[in-house]
Amino acid sequence: MTREEIVEAVNAAFEEMEIPREELTPEKEFFKDLGLDSLDMVDLMISLQRKFGVQLRQNEEIKKVRTLNDIYEFFVKLDAERNAGAGPEK
Amino acid sequence: MNGGRRVVITGCGVISSLGNTPEELYSRLAAGESAVRIMTSWGTGQAAAPVDLPEDVIRSIPRAKRRFMGRVAVLSALAGRRAADSAGLSEEEIRSERTGCVVGSTMGSTSEMDSSFRTLLTGGGIPEISPMAFFKCASHTTAFNAASLLDICGAVYSPSAACASGLQAAGIGMALISSGMQDVVLCGGADEVTPLVSGCFELMEAHASSGEGQSPDRIARPFDRKRNGLVCGEGAGILVLEEYEHARARGAKILAEIYSYATCRCPGSVSQSDSSSVLRCVRDVYRKADLTPAETDYISAHATSTIQGDRAEAVALRSVFGDSVPVSSLKGHLGHTLAASGTLEIIAVLEMMKHGTLIPTRNLEEVDPECGGLDHVRTLRACPIRRVLKNCFAFGGINSAMLFGKMD
Repeated sequence: MTREEIVEAVNAAFEEMEIPREELTPEKEFFKDLGLDSLDMVDLMISLQRKFGVQLRQNEEIKKVRTLNDIYEFFVKLDAERNAGAGPEK
Repeated sequence: MNGGRRVVITGCGVISSLGNTPEELYSRLAAGESAVRIMTSWGTGQAAAPVDLPEDVIRSIPRAKRRFMGRVAVLSALAGRRAADSAGLSEEEIRSERTGCVVGSTMGSTSEMDSSFRTLLTGGGIPEISPMAFFKCASHTTAFNAASLLDICGAVYSPSAACASGLQAAGIGMALISSGMQDVVLCGGADEVTPLVSGCFELMEAHASSGEGQSPDRIARPFDRKRNGLVCGEGAGILVLEEYEHARARGAKILAEIYSYATCRCPGSVSQSDSSSVLRCVRDVYRKADLTPAETDYISAHATSTIQGDRAEAVALRSVFGDSVPVSSLKGHLGHTLAASGTLEIIAVLEMMKHGTLIPTRNLEEVDPECGGLDHVRTLRACPIRRVLKNCFAFGGINSAMLFGKMD
């Protein structure tokens, strides 16, 4: 996937939570800026699991993300590892 | 009456298959409309009476609160908000710890249960199930979600007594107010209709089957000789119950007084209340109100169009009232809205009182002799309505009855 495709897929997951696209800028923090809470984040992870075909609930790295850009970077890195033959993170 | 503080109705909110205001519901009932149709989207050939709920109406509930709601809770919350608005309650009054919320449903959201179990058993399992599923499937989802939308801070209860849930909720609300525990209680019932719900009634052979060439709107036919079962409907009906002096002090418009509520169990069966237990319930509600059956102007029957249920109710009503009090059922128009039916139909009756017009039982073409001996309302009838008996009976052997009407 290109970075643009990854950004599009992640943003689509946020749009499913009825957050307008114009608010989806890389520096936005989920809780402080987008008004989400921990239960929303679980729903978001389920959506991202489906979009990227990876299990996320036990993933320690994804638990550290705070901003939209953190998520973009997480999946960019994941995609690079997949392409390098490392396989999806567990 | 009933020994405690007087309880009045000062507001009502409805979401129904025949309109989302009491006025529209009444006018479409009076016009003889039926909401029953074949549910082609289900692919099962079943008939039902669904609510057409536009997306913008659903989205009028903020996402932060809506995310915890399945369809049944959306119906409840929307009706609750309309009820609070119609009662003219201020935000301060709604958020007072003296204001409670009692709303019941047969169970939590069946559409959400269906999708969650599909994911659990044939999809990705637990990791793919949303944490919101609990809040949507919980048995008290209609009560806490309506309370959440309105920011209610008082007592919250959720009776789950299938088709009697709404009337049970009103009975509990009445008790909370008459005993002094609350001053205002939003109460009622809600249910959603899905193939799972209709299928349960089919398994018990209580669901109507349409004859060849029979129009869907003719299937539900309470008290009729050719009835063969109920048709499931959906919706929500929420009443604002209020202590009389409290309502008077804030200048609220009083729609009716609740005189009494009675409930009892049929000891013989959990699947079908018999006429003797229905009779016991009806007698009890008059004893509690210190009224006589002769003082009744109208009976809003439970009569869902099942063979045994309509007969049991008719036998009980005949022994108490004979043919001296008009009786009708709204299930031919609305289907059986299950937990919503008690309070949703009370809202229709409040409009009948306002218009001085009784709405007939739709599709009652030939009265079953076993349901005879009553004053069945067969056509629109002008009639001053002062006091009303409302019945609800439910699986579990639950009987309930409420007497309400104009203030003395």
